[in-house]
Amino acid sequence: MTKAALKGLIQRQEFVLFAILVVICTVFTIITPLFLSAYNIGNLLKAVSMIVIVACGGTLLMMTANFDLSTGGNLIFSNIIFAMTCLAGVPVVLALGITILCGCAIGAINGTLVTRFAVTPFIATLGTWFVFKGIAKAITDNNEIKAGLPKSFDFLGQAQLGPVPMPVVVLVVIVVVFLFLERKTLLGKYSMAIGGNPTAAYLSGIDGNKIIFLLYTITGGLAGLAGSIAASRIGSGNPRMGDGFEFDVIIAIILGGTPLSGGRGTILGTLIGALIVAVIGSGLNMLGMLSFWQLVLKGVILLFAILLNEKLGK
Amino acid sequence: MEEVIIDAKRLVKRFPGVVALTDISFQIRKNTVHCLVGENGAGKSTFIKILTGVYQADEGEILLNGKVHKPKNIRESRKAGITAIYQELNVVDDLTVEQNLSLGKEKHRWGIVQRISDLGKVASILKDLDPRIKLNQKVATLSVAQKQVIEIAKAISSDANIIVMDEPTAAISEEEVRRLFEIIQGLKQQRVTVIYISHRLSEIFEIGDYVTVFRDGQMINTLAVEELNQNGRSQASVELVKMMLGKVLAEHYTPSDIDYQTKMLEAQNLTNNTLKKVSFDLHKGEILGFYGLVGSGKTETARVLYGLDPFEGKVIIKGKECRLGKVRDAIKAGITMIPEERRAEGIFGVLSIRENIPVMKMGNVLKNRVISRFKERNLALSYIQKLRVAARNEEQSVSFLSGGNQQKVVISKCLNSESKIFLMDEPTRGVDVGAKEEIHNIIRELSKEGCAIIVFSSELPEIVNLCDRIILMYEGEIRKVLKNHKDIDSEEIMHIITGGQWGAS
Repeated sequence: MTKAALKGLIQRQEFVLFAILVVICTVFTIITPLFLSAYNIGNLLKAVSMIVIVACGGTLLMMTANFDLSTGGNLIFSNIIFAMTCLAGVPVVLALGITILCGCAIGAINGTLVTRFAVTPFIATLGTWFVFKGIAKAITDNNEIKAGLPKSFDFLGQAQLGPVPMPVVVLVVIVVVFLFLERKTLLGKYSMAIGGNPTAAYLSGIDGNKIIFLLYTITGGLAGLAGSIAASRIGSGNPRMGDGFEFDVIIAIILGGTPLSGGRGTILGTLIGALIVAVIGSGLNMLGMLSFWQLVLKGVILLFAILLNEKLGK
Repeated sequence: MEEVIIDAKRLVKRFPGVVALTDISFQIRKNTVHCLVGENGAGKSTFIKILTGVYQADEGEILLNGKVHKPKNIRESRKAGITAIYQELNVVDDLTVEQNLSLGKEKHRWGIVQRISDLGKVASILKDLDPRIKLNQKVATLSVAQKQVIEIAKAISSDANIIVMDEPTAAISEEEVRRLFEIIQGLKQQRVTVIYISHRLSEIFEIGDYVTVFRDGQMINTLAVEELNQNGRSQASVELVKMMLGKVLAEHYTPSDIDYQTKMLEAQNLTNNTLKKVSFDLHKGEILGFYGLVGSGKTETARVLYGLDPFEGKVIIKGKECRLGKVRDAIKAGITMIPEERRAEGIFGVLSIRENIPVMKMGNVLKNRVISRFKERNLALSYIQKLRVAARNEEQSVSFLSGGNQQKVVISKCLNSESKIFLMDEPTRGVDVGAKEEIHNIIRELSKEGCAIIVFSSELPEIVNLCDRIILMYEGEIRKVLKNHKDIDSEEIMHIITGGQWGAS
C-alpha cells in the first residue's frame, strides 16, 4: 500500500471509528474477561440489530439531508400490529409482511408530508412519532399482548441459525443489501447528490422528491421489520418498549459519519457507530453502572460524534 | 463649480492573479449625482468597496473633504457619512416599516423593548420621500422600490452625506424609476452627494451630473454629462460605449461549419413574465450568442428552454413540438445546460470527479443495472484527458479544483448526457484567461461535432469571438439578430442593448 493510500485510509471516519471500537472492546475485555464471551456478544448483537436495521435506511435518508424521528413510534406501532395480526391467527410470515407494509405506509406519510407539503422533516416525523406511538398505546390500553400468541411468534427474535441468533442473521442480510444499495445503485448515488447540492441535482435531471419519498418509505418499512423482531424477541407485543429508539438510530448514523446536512455518509460507518454505542452500554452494564448514567454518556457520545464529523468532514 | 468631496488618488487594488484597480484617480464633487459606468469586472464595485471599507487599497488614498479616508470596515465609513444601498436590500420582510427603521437602535430596558415614541427624523424623512408608505405596514407588502426608499430614509437620517446606489433600478418598474429619480433630485437639495452605478446609459443622461468610465480596472475618463450631451444623446451614448468597451475585436472568430438545412431547435413566441415573443432558430453546428444587459432576458430564455420556468409559445426540437415543463423533459429532448452559478448549481463539491461526471446519464456507467466503478473510472479518465482537466486524479473532490477545471467537469457532465443542444449560461465566468480560451475551444470543437450551442454571456468579447450569430436582447425582447464577422461593429451592439434604435438617430 502506498503512503498516500494509507494516509487516505487513516483519515476516513470508518477507520477512526473502527479503531475506537477496538480500543473500547479491549479495555472492557481486560476489566471483565466475560465481556468477550459468546453469550455476551450474541446478546449485544441482538440488542443492536434493530437499531442497525433501521439506521441502514436512515443513513441513505440522512445523506439527502432528511431525517426520521418517527422510527421509534413506528417501532412500537409495528410491534403491536405484528402481535395483533399473529393473535388473530394470521400466519407469522404473512403477519410480518403486513407489519412491514404498515411501516412503509407510515414512512410514505412522512415522505408525502416532506416532499409534497414541504413540511420540515423534524416536524413531519415528530408528528407521526406522536400519532403512531399514541395509537399503539391507545389500542392496547398500554398493556402487553402476550396470551394466546402462537409458538412461531418467537421464531424471528429467538431462533438460531446454527450458533447465530436470528436477529443477527437479519442484521447481516440488511447491512449487505444496503451496502450494495449505497455503493452500486442509482439510489445511493442520487441520495448523495441530492444532499450534496440539491440545485445541481435538480438541474442534472434528478427527481429529488421521488428519491426522498422512496427513502422515507424504505426507512418506515425497516422500522416495521425491527418492530416485529422486537416483539418476537420478548415474546409479546409491548407498547411500553422502545423508549428513545429513534435517538439511538440517529446517534448511530451521526457517529458513523453522516452529517445532518447530508451529502456524505456510509452504511459501514453507521454499523460501527451503532456497535460503539452498544458495546459501551453492554460493558458498563457488566460493570454495574446505573442505566441513568448511561443516558448521560450517550449524550456525551452524540456531542463527540458531531465534533468528530466537523473535524473530519472539512 | 462645486467643491470636491471625494478625491481618489492613484488607487491600486490587487487580488491573487488579477489587478482589480490600476492607478485610479478622479474627483467627485459635493452635491452632485456622480455616475460610474463600465462592464462587469471593470472596477466599479472594487472602488465602491474601498470607499465603504469592505476592501483596503494596496496603494494610493482617498481624501474625504480633504482628509485621508481609510475605513477599516463598513461601520467606519458610515461614521464618516458614507452609506451604500445594495441590490440585496437590508430590510427584514416580516417586520413593520417602523420596526425596520429602528432596528438595532431600539430603546430597551434589560432587553425589553420600550414603546418607540419618537422615530424622530427618520419618520418625517420617509414621509417626504414617499408619503404612501405607512409606518405600521409590513415591509413584505412593499415593492422593491419602496424598500429602497426605506433604506434611503435610513441613510439620510444617519446623517449620510454620500449615498452610493448600486444598480437601484435593476428590479423596479418604470414608474418606480421615475419616483426614485425625483427622490434623487430631492437628495441633492438636502446636500447629499449620490454615487450612482447603472448599466442603463439612458439613466445617466437623465439624472447624472458627472460620469466616470471604468474599463479593465482603469479610470478611462471623467466628464460632465452636460458636456457629453453637446452633440445629442445618441452621439453621447456611442461615446460612452466606446470608452466602456475600448476596441472589441472579433480576432479569434472562426465561422463554424453550419448545416442551415437542419434546424436543431425552433423557438416560437416564447413569452412569460420577462420574455416578450422571443423567436429564433438554432441550426446544426451553430454557435448562437445571446447578449444583453442584466435583466434583458438572456438567462430567462435559457431557463425556459431547460424547463425551469413556465412560458407560453412553442419549442420545436428536430421538427417535433416539445413540452418543456421539467428539467427531465429538456434532457430527454436532448437539451443540456451549463448553469450560470457553477458552485451552487453545477458541481457536487464533496463528490469526486469520477462521481460527478456520470450523474446526468447514469446508464453509461451501469453494468447489469449496477454501477460499475470500472466504467465510472474509465469515463472520468476519458473526459479528464479529452478536456484536459488539471486534477491529481479522478478521485479528487471537485471542490478542490480551480474554477476553470470545475467548469470542465460540469461540461463533461453535460457531454456525458449525450445531448446535442447545449445551453451555456456564462460559460467562462470566474475562470482565468488560459482556461477561458480552452473552454472556448471546447465549444468550437462541439459545434464541429454537429452539436448546436447557445452561449448566454454578459461579456461581449466572448460573444464576438465565439458566436456565428448574435441575438441582442433588451427588456425581454429580441431587438436584433446580427451575423458575426471579423469587423463586427461593437458600438452598434452596445447601442442596441442599451435600448437605442440603430440608424434612427
